[in-house]
Amino acid sequence: RSFASQTDGEARVSRVLREKFPRASAIKVVDISGGCGAMYEIHIESEEFREKRTVQQHQMVNQALSEEIKSMHGLRIFTSTPK
Amino acid sequence: GGGGGGSGSREAVERLVREHPVVVFMKGSPAQPLCGFSNAVVQILRLHGVEDYRAHDVLQDPDLRQGIKNYSNWPTIPQVYLNGEFVGGCDILLQMHQNGDLVEELKKLGIRSALLDAEKDQDKK
Repeated sequence: RSFASQTDGEARVSRVLREKFPRASAIKVVDISGGCGAMYEIHIESEEFREKRTVQQHQMVNQALSEEIKSMHGLRIFTSTPK
Repeated sequence: GGGGGGSGSREAVERLVREHPVVVFMKGSPAQPLCGFSNAVVQILRLHGVEDYRAHDVLQDPDLRQGIKNYSNWPTIPQVYLNGEFVGGCDILLQMHQNGDLVEELKKLGIRSALLDAEKDQDKK
């Protein structure tokens, strides 16, 4: 999948995540609603998640995307820490 | 926003999450889930033999639907509560199922996961 095919929504969500998680080593945002911007799958790897429970890590992503989430139908979050 | 309707108030939600060791806020019912993610939660619980739990259909109650999101500060449905504590949504429950954490959490509630018996049967072969 080439970067040229990234949707506007994917780009915007990625940008917000890069701003809110400056220490993230990997960020991937995929529109899984067929480009409608209704549902996203978010993968984010960051040192900022270390020692935190999964639900706390997901909460951090929820807070970071609180504005964007308002216009989404749903989202899936997968967080991890660098090895 | 404010507290909204009675069924969505903090007190009302608090009562619901504490009424049973396993409480799920979902779309539809365990017999008929109306969303893929809610269905996933129901199926995972079923795999572990957990059929006796409280399920609340947020589609039937807009005040509860907003109230539960305010309560947990979590924007999506389904939401799973174990012993009154918010555990997460479908993705987290799936992760817990895959890494064995769910079996442990159920054990803490005095619930023996059906998967433990399934493993025992396999050992006998």
